[in-house]
Amino acid sequence: MTKNYIVENLKKQIENFKDSVKAEKIGHVIEVFDGIAKISGLSDIKASEMVSFPNGEKGVALNLEEDSIGVIILGDFSKIHEGDEVKATGEILSVPVSNSQIGRVLNALGNPIDGKGAIKAEAFNPIEKVAPGVITRLSVSQAVQTGIKAIDALIPIGRGQRELIIGDRQTGKTAIAIDAILNQKGQDMICVYVSIGQKDSKLRKLQTRLEEGGAMDYTIIVSAGSSESAALSYIAPYTGVSIAEYFMEQGKDVLIVYDDLSKHAVAYREISLLLRRPPGREAFPGDVFYLHSRLLERACRRNKEYGGGSITALPIIETQSGDLSAYIPTNVISITDGQIFLETDLFYKGIRPAVNVGFSVSRVGSSAQIKAMKKVSGTLKLDLAQFRELEAFSQFGSDLDESTKNQLERGKRAVEVLKQPQYSPVATEDQVVALYALTKGYMDDVALDKIKSFEEGLLDYTRRNAKTFYKEVINDKMWTEQGEQELIKVIGEFKSGFNK
Amino acid sequence: MATISINNIARAIYESSKGKDGVELDVVVKNAVRLISKKNLMNKSKEILNGVRKITDKEGGVIRAKVSSRITLEKKIIDEIEDFIKKRYQAQNIVLEFETDKKLLGGIKIEVGDEIIDTTLKNKINKLENYLITN
Repeated sequence: MTKNYIVENLKKQIENFKDSVKAEKIGHVIEVFDGIAKISGLSDIKASEMVSFPNGEKGVALNLEEDSIGVIILGDFSKIHEGDEVKATGEILSVPVSNSQIGRVLNALGNPIDGKGAIKAEAFNPIEKVAPGVITRLSVSQAVQTGIKAIDALIPIGRGQRELIIGDRQTGKTAIAIDAILNQKGQDMICVYVSIGQKDSKLRKLQTRLEEGGAMDYTIIVSAGSSESAALSYIAPYTGVSIAEYFMEQGKDVLIVYDDLSKHAVAYREISLLLRRPPGREAFPGDVFYLHSRLLERACRRNKEYGGGSITALPIIETQSGDLSAYIPTNVISITDGQIFLETDLFYKGIRPAVNVGFSVSRVGSSAQIKAMKKVSGTLKLDLAQFRELEAFSQFGSDLDESTKNQLERGKRAVEVLKQPQYSPVATEDQVVALYALTKGYMDDVALDKIKSFEEGLLDYTRRNAKTFYKEVINDKMWTEQGEQELIKVIGEFKSGFNK
Repeated sequence: MATISINNIARAIYESSKGKDGVELDVVVKNAVRLISKKNLMNKSKEILNGVRKITDKEGGVIRAKVSSRITLEKKIIDEIEDFIKKRYQAQNIVLEFETDKKLLGGIKIEVGDEIIDTTLKNKINKLENYLITN
């Protein structure tokens, strides 16, 4: 590139520059503190309109009062002084969206922070948008395969669903979300991971993990770190969903993970208290329910006339010592279409993922499950719930009748089959085979500590020998009499070999 | 009891001093100062005064404009500006305030209330800078 070329290029760009003089609204900073600015003037400003400070920082007007406005500053507020001139931009806060954002790490304003160069914006989407209305929607009928047996079989998630992942700290909430993202490879899904107030080291680890699993080819990470201001944490999930909507509008299916919304609520509480909005329960402002409902309502599945596509949301909430009845958890539970409840006790018992099947539900996902899965998982949830009750009960005495004993043994094996290490998603058809063997009693005479190796061996064997069955499940989502006979035969063959 | 806002006090001072002059006005002013000091609002006196001015301006249809330029403006241009503001804001009385600032490089900047019409070279250069960065 020669010097001349650069000059020519600049010249051309300068020629294209058109300037129009128009009256602008200005205001002056009255006070600045903790990422909040109070500004006088700016009489005609709209709610959540962007304002710009002299050093180029942007702000969003949240409080509109009689003769001043309250603004959250997006970025560094240490260089903003009292008396600075503030301009209204006339625009609602929007973020750049582009197909080339895939595979990148962005900040809460949609700009890249991974050092891989600038991204050319294809459009700008406002971060606040009214969720799609009733007539544009379609009910959930297609599954999101997470690759986790306990979830795909018992708490299935459909495209367009909002499924809450809730649990104490260190119970594997993020692990479930990451496994779900890793399993979307080849499933024609775009993933958006929104990290809110997380440690940068954790995010880095996660990004490396996604890269290793090849998941960054279809994933976008939006991050508002814990060192950044509360304002950025507050807008990060809206940025994420705006980016997700851009892909949905192209008719694609998107999976979005909000990790986590408790920190988001805390950031919003901080902003609200600083803006002197009246605190309510747990010092959260009155509109904290609306904060999350308007975000999660944007997850949807659109019908064909409106372009198709879907956004599936997996919000994460961290509870304090398993307390589901705190303010934010109850709010988000009531907004979402079900929850996956993770328990510390189960986690330390070695049952991982530590899903509490009794408290976890999926209100709409069952209609998205494939037929074959429905058939094998039919009574599994009930059996497991009964097993938990019997387990507690049976500790008091050894005098149990035969059927109770059988139920206990079956339950123990079911728990064993549902255990699954992190980063090892299981394909749906494999899940069907394993659960078929379990529910039809083929594992009842296998020793408990051999279940894992039995399952692994069985899957390996059936994959090679029960080709008709596999083909039927993959293509038609259900098996025929013929396929089932083949599977039964193959399981029998394997068992006789395994027991030797 | 609801707190008294600065606007309330300004409005009260305006209302009570309206149409008064001489000794009467003196009494009103004295009382106003007494009230402000009694309410411990002496440190806000500047804002209150501003408030009173705003109200009087509004009631009297007075528009205050600040005109900034690099050099002192000629009479002809000032008249033009006056005409322009009168038309734009439909005001009877205009109070112009002039300011010269070498940093503006050229052109004029008119500020009326919280509205600004900026035709200065400095602003144009800033806009061009922004344009080149974003494109």
